Amino acid sequence: MKLGIGARITALFGLGALLLSILMGGLSYFTTRHFLLAGRETAAQQQAFGNALVVRSSLLSGDTQYVTLLASIDAGTGAHSILYHQSKAYVSSLSANSASIPTKLRQAVLAGSAATETYRTTEGTAEIVVGVPVPSVHAFYFEVFDLSDLDHTLRVLGLTLFGAGVVTTLLGVGLGRFASERSLRPLAAVSRAASSIAGGELDTRLDPPAADPDLEGLTNSFNAMVDQLQERIEREARFNSDVSHELRSPLTTLAAALEVLEADRDKLPPRSQRALQLLSDDLRRFQRMVGDLLEMSRADAGSVAVFLEEVNVSELVQRSVVAGFGHMDGQGGGAPPTVRVDPGVQTWRVGVDKRRFERVMVNLMENASHYGGGVTEIAVGPGDGDRVEVTVDDAGPGIEPQERSKVFERFYRGSASGRRGTGTGTGLGLALVAEHMRVMDGDVRVEASPSGGARFVLSLPVLADGDEPGGEA
Amino acid sequence: MSGRILVVEDDERIRSSMRLALEGEGYEVRDAASGEEGLDLFAEAPTDVALIDLMLPGMDGFECCRALRRSSAVPIIIVTARADTHDVVAGLEAGADDYVTKPFVAKELAARIRALLRRARPAEEEPGALTFGDLQLLPEQGVLRRLNGEEVHCTRTEFRLLCELAASPNKVLSREQLLDRVWGYDYFGDGRLVDVHIRRLRTKVEADPAVPQHILTVRGMGYKLVP
Repeated sequence: MKLGIGARITALFGLGALLLSILMGGLSYFTTRHFLLAGRETAAQQQAFGNALVVRSSLLSGDTQYVTLLASIDAGTGAHSILYHQSKAYVSSLSANSASIPTKLRQAVLAGSAATETYRTTEGTAEIVVGVPVPSVHAFYFEVFDLSDLDHTLRVLGLTLFGAGVVTTLLGVGLGRFASERSLRPLAAVSRAASSIAGGELDTRLDPPAADPDLEGLTNSFNAMVDQLQERIEREARFNSDVSHELRSPLTTLAAALEVLEADRDKLPPRSQRALQLLSDDLRRFQRMVGDLLEMSRADAGSVAVFLEEVNVSELVQRSVVAGFGHMDGQGGGAPPTVRVDPGVQTWRVGVDKRRFERVMVNLMENASHYGGGVTEIAVGPGDGDRVEVTVDDAGPGIEPQERSKVFERFYRGSASGRRGTGTGTGLGLALVAEHMRVMDGDVRVEASPSGGARFVLSLPVLADGDEPGGEA
Repeated sequence: MSGRILVVEDDERIRSSMRLALEGEGYEVRDAASGEEGLDLFAEAPTDVALIDLMLPGMDGFECCRALRRSSAVPIIIVTARADTHDVVAGLEAGADDYVTKPFVAKELAARIRALLRRARPAEEEPGALTFGDLQLLPEQGVLRRLNGEEVHCTRTEFRLLCELAASPNKVLSREQLLDRVWGYDYFGDGRLVDVHIRRLRTKVEADPAVPQHILTVRGMGYKLVP
């Protein structure tokens, strides 16, 4: 796994602090140890030489109470003495043992030279032994000093230094974290700005760094990038609007000219009348297609301004069905479907763009008549939570569960609908239904109708219940 | 029905087809290819309805509307390529009375013109004189004036809207009702027409348009006039 830059900075600071504390701690430990030990050795040597003189004078005076002598020397010093005289070893106490003297040192002393050695006994206690030959009386005097107090001091020192090292390392990690957060803060600001731009707020810019020349480059180039992006998006939106204007102008001319001809329809010969009928039918369809395509491209550009009005939902659906039925493409006369309204939702109000909602109903009714054998029922009823649902059922074969989400994709032709369709739609009808519902805070889904066909369900949030909502605004 | 219509449209083909269609409906049509030319034509002869495309070279449709409004209360219909932009609101705020979207159907355009001409003439059942605040509304004379005699200028649509509200003081009228009575729209009329006209009216009759005292919004319901 690759570590993030923040974690790496933190780790680097922690590692630096660790190495530094090992170095400093090690240095102080070994220096202290060296000085303490050297001091103790010097003191031990002085004491041993002094005691050797005492032993020499005692032996010269013919005293043979060796053990008493050694005990009196040891008294109050905490050291143990060992005396070799006439090939016999005498010890000052039971805890002192001639065997504990390192062989090498003993041999050196027996050979006639004084020696000092620090060692650790098999029990683990540190000791200094000083060996002094006393040639005038043919004796060899050894004195063993216990170093366990020094050992203890050094152990405490070591522990203290180790603790200090741990604390230093943790402080280093903390400092690293702080530093990385501080240095990454501008990046977090960039990330926030970028996501707000991605969310559509193109006016977002980074604040120029107040007193940080290091960040000026980043800020300037980021803002320059957003400027360019915004310009491109606006250029594209302008282009779309220009295209829409260019496409609509000839359509407007055609429609107006055709209406002049239609006003004089009766004066035309029958063949021309039929041609005129074809022209006007297809012109209407062409207008619908251009309208749908532009609607979709606008939705993509995010340049849709929606005007939501609070209206009574049952009236909205009834009016939309009646008006929409008249606007349907290729409907063969007849009466518009009736709308069944659940008495519980009679007074519910929703926020919609009425003309968008009418397009939704037109598209659903057209879809039902093209691919579903016609509308069987339109109903308004309560949905989950604070929502109201409008259902449009058809008499077709229904839509397979795996195709249900796909029917709202653009230009989607289902396996069944492809065969049954008359090919008059733009392929955008249901995609636009989904888009219209989305901008009105609603949604659409398809399920199976109890009668076997497909059921399209529109769901909208309910704003208020009743005809007397709110007060003054 | 006859009427004199001024068409300001830069696309020559649309201009010709509109002229054909409107003349077919019995109107007298004059057309201009730019806002400047339109203003000249307007000054030359009386006009009953002005039809102005928003996208014009040079002086754009908004500016053309504002220029017309400075000197006249003539009904203005703006022609826009898109209904779901702020262009519509901006055009209405510039003084337009109504709008149509391209590609429009000539029949629909003729219906819009008819509605405007109808209401440009005195209506049959007018409310009586009504006084609210320091204003006096005299529907039969088509006059709105302050109590000190100073006349408040408003367009015919604004005046008509005020008369509808004044006809039933203290009673809430929904957007749909107002769209039907003032503009002749059915249920699917654009509520923004009402909203913008109410805003325009408030700047003329309210002491502080941000805190209206007479023309009140009833949220989710509509508007009412409180004398």
